[in-house]
Amino acid sequence: MQRVDTTQLLKGVLDLAVLAVLKDEDGYGYDILRRLREAGLEEVGDASVYGTLRRLFAAGLLTAYVVPSESGPHRKYYALNAAGRDQLTRSGKTWRSFATTMDALLDDRGMAA
Amino acid sequence: MTVTGQEIADYVERVRTALADLPPAVRDELTEDLAEHLTEVAAETDGTLVDRLGTPEAYAAELRAAAGADGAGGQASVDRRFAAARARISAGLRGLDTRLGPLLGYAMASEFLRPLRPAWWLVRGWLAALLISAALGEPSGLLPRLSGSVLAGLFLLAGTVLASIWLGRHSVGIRGWPRRLLRLGTAALLLFAFAALLNVDQHARSDDFGPYSGVSVGNPYDSIEDVFVYDEEGRLVRNARLFDQNGVPIRLGYPTCVDSGQYPPRNVYPYCPDRAPFAPRPAAPPPTASPASPAPTESPAPTGGPTASTTPTATPPPGGSESADPGPVPTR
Repeated sequence: MQRVDTTQLLKGVLDLAVLAVLKDEDGYGYDILRRLREAGLEEVGDASVYGTLRRLFAAGLLTAYVVPSESGPHRKYYALNAAGRDQLTRSGKTWRSFATTMDALLDDRGMAA
Repeated sequence: MTVTGQEIADYVERVRTALADLPPAVRDELTEDLAEHLTEVAAETDGTLVDRLGTPEAYAAELRAAAGADGAGGQASVDRRFAAARARISAGLRGLDTRLGPLLGYAMASEFLRPLRPAWWLVRGWLAALLISAALGEPSGLLPRLSGSVLAGLFLLAGTVLASIWLGRHSVGIRGWPRRLLRLGTAALLLFAFAALLNVDQHARSDDFGPYSGVSVGNPYDSIEDVFVYDEEGRLVRNARLFDQNGVPIRLGYPTCVDSGQYPPRNVYPYCPDRAPFAPRPAAPPPTASPASPAPTESPAPTGGPTASTTPTATPPPGGSESADPGPVPTR
């Protein structure tokens, strides 16, 4: 059940998480996946991240460019564009507000963090 | 690293297959760096790709959902409409199933049909043998033949029937294109069965007319050209007429000796008295009696006359039968 819960939550915030890990540094698919895992989102699925990248790109929030690799295939790097940064700011605020509300709700009922 | 390049290629292919309903451009975009991704996964972990990522189909489903590609493109909506139509049809069939069941004394018609499936397997095997036999150009029939041999055909029949039964017992687990192939084959067999049934039916009907067609084929009277009637004294009867029990004139033969330009009256026999097979044999030497007719010397008495004289001796009077000219009056 724990895993299902996390997966459910991830569905809602994966867009925001991906935008966030691209804020400071461009990255390719597997690189972004690794950053998310290192940040603690262990449950995130490979295909979910790749699919999300495609969707954000198709929505015009990301730009993409191909970098020739010294070893192996070329890599497609993703970067935030202006619309992406704008979206990150707004979604971030929404999340913070939502998380604060949830925290307060749970605090009121004496549940430990 | 235990994952091979082949395994990666297979995984990619299966993901692409699972996404086959998407527009090609969308599918290519979704899977363009999948191989590279899998290579990195393989380099980092032990075990197979499936252990690490789940089945390719599950991966494809997750990719599709995350990319929001479900509703994209017209193809998917066509697929959805197709699926909806199929659901409607199967619902209709289920309704028919329930309604027809009571007529057969069952809750559902399928309950009645299910025990009959092995019978269908037998028929299917038999049809397959007939189809193979027909495809090899053997004469069509109800038994398969191989190069004209019924025995070899029976072996073929046994083989196809066993194969059909095996297929019937194992077809439950068949999915995907083999199942489609099976359905296609069944449709072809049914079509062939219909054609074969028509063929057999035609043969059966032509057998019904056998006696009639025999008239035109094997009529023993076909070779008759002329009719010679002899009276009990062995004399040739001229200008005889033949009637059946209904008073209908019997027509046999045709004049072949018309020389004077005038036809003899129809149905008055013989047409050619000069060709009588049995000549009267007077005391005079035979050659002069009837030069035109080869008189067989050992011939028995014609027409089985009661007097049984083996050698007709009396010459029929030339106009002897003129008195019979009015002919018998039909009795009705």
